[in-house]
Amino acid sequence: MKELLTMWKHTRMIILVAVVAAVYAAVLIPFKAIPLIPGYTEIRVAQVIPPVASLLFGPAAAWGTAIGNLIGDLFGTFGPGSLFGFIGNFYLGLVPYALWGRLGPLSTGREPAMAGAAQVVEFAAVTLVSALATAGIIAWGLEVLRLLPFAALGTIIVLNDFIFPAVVSPVVLYLLYRRVKRWGLLWTQIMPREDISTGRGVLGTALLLVGSFGAVILGNWISISRGALAGAAGFQQFGNPQVVGQPGLVWTLVPFMVMLALALVFCRPRTDLAAS
Amino acid sequence: MDIYLYVPADTPVHRLDPRAKMAALLAVLLLAVAADHPLLPGALLGAVVLVAHAGRAWGALRRVRALILLIASFSTLTWSVFARGTTPLLGPVEVEALLFGVGTGLKLACTIAASVVFLATTSNEEITVGLIRLGLPYPVAFAFSTALRLVPTFVGAGATILEAQKSRGLDVESGGLIQRMRRHLPLVVPILAVAIRSTNQLALALESRGFRARPDRTYYLELRFRAADRVVTAVSLVLIVLALYLRLFTRALRIPGLLT
Repeated sequence: MKELLTMWKHTRMIILVAVVAAVYAAVLIPFKAIPLIPGYTEIRVAQVIPPVASLLFGPAAAWGTAIGNLIGDLFGTFGPGSLFGFIGNFYLGLVPYALWGRLGPLSTGREPAMAGAAQVVEFAAVTLVSALATAGIIAWGLEVLRLLPFAALGTIIVLNDFIFPAVVSPVVLYLLYRRVKRWGLLWTQIMPREDISTGRGVLGTALLLVGSFGAVILGNWISISRGALAGAAGFQQFGNPQVVGQPGLVWTLVPFMVMLALALVFCRPRTDLAAS
Repeated sequence: MDIYLYVPADTPVHRLDPRAKMAALLAVLLLAVAADHPLLPGALLGAVVLVAHAGRAWGALRRVRALILLIASFSTLTWSVFARGTTPLLGPVEVEALLFGVGTGLKLACTIAASVVFLATTSNEEITVGLIRLGLPYPVAFAFSTALRLVPTFVGAGATILEAQKSRGLDVESGGLIQRMRRHLPLVVPILAVAIRSTNQLALALESRGFRARPDRTYYLELRFRAADRVVTAVSLVLIVLALYLRLFTRALRIPGLLT
């Protein structure tokens, strides 16, 4: 995905990074006062923004979401975990545009203008993968740092990053897509073809799917003693704050983290989508 | 709501190099989470308050005091109830759990206060140049500092749009939390549209001033790493190593009796 680096040559893309980061942080900050796990996560209405920004601004949304989350952290949850928050939120802005049009029968092959139910379903699918990738990375990171058990945080992040955006974001995208295209600010309008990676991206898509689903499912399974209900058991461990940093969990998830990292190299966003 | 926290002043804290302040901030963050016992985060919070006093950052701290108090007290209560110890205190709360809860509340208060003091005593320009001197590419540092600068602008735009929608009859103050969140949704699209539309103007303004016209650029702000900066950085590095040691290699400052 060379566009993640080549985008820094384009002034409009740099501005879009700042705009996405600022809007994301501006909506995150007021809700810091309503924590879900104090110091780690809160009710995040702002999660509506990353998938929308991703499908509009591509790589600028990935960097913008990561930077915006870091700025938001400065107003309530800044700490060693912010490093993994940065990486996790990077994937939140990356996955939707990287996977759009790449999900076989779920994909419409058209621009994400939210024209019809099939596109809303595809939107929900890419949002789910992005939520899982983000949850896997952040929950694994905090387990490595021995700050919080995987099952407690992972489940909350998946719910936060999937449910609200899956319901609300398609409407926001429907209202914005054509406007942004008219303004010439879609990332595919700003960046020339030679700055965007090309190819079918089958390996990258597979890595993203296996890495994100695998990390969250296996992480929860190990974190809660193999097989109990994720959410409830996660919260039981939540009451046992020193049961973190399990070496078995940390090392088992390393291959999935490697897969997510390699997806950055092998994913190929589609630039040949038909107009909706 | 103005969330631009920087307070211009000529204090020893303001005069420190931003790189030294970043090292100190990192040290505080790592030390705060290095132990479960409230002693360490309590002492750190005291140190942060002293630095805030020296840097005249009280105004900035006052503006976020409600947030700090809410997060710290909520955290103390939650962890006191959910954590488990061995010495009963009151109902479901054990002594060790209460200590853990207080410790966690203090950790959060300390990290938020340290971040706010950093932002109150370090201007955007200093953060940008500091990050560049630490090796961050200029466009990335520029995007970061521009985002920091734009946050209050968009919060202001959001407030204006909210007032406009309220004058048209939008009720965002009654009902439960979910209802109020749902009523805020009509604000998202105009805020995003306003923000995105400004992109072309900003890009034109930047390019007309020669943004990235040359690979090597100079900066109006020249940073100088003085003796005080060296001392602060050296102490911070020692504290970072100490924090890692406490967290990873010892059980010092843990709470005996807290169930593992």
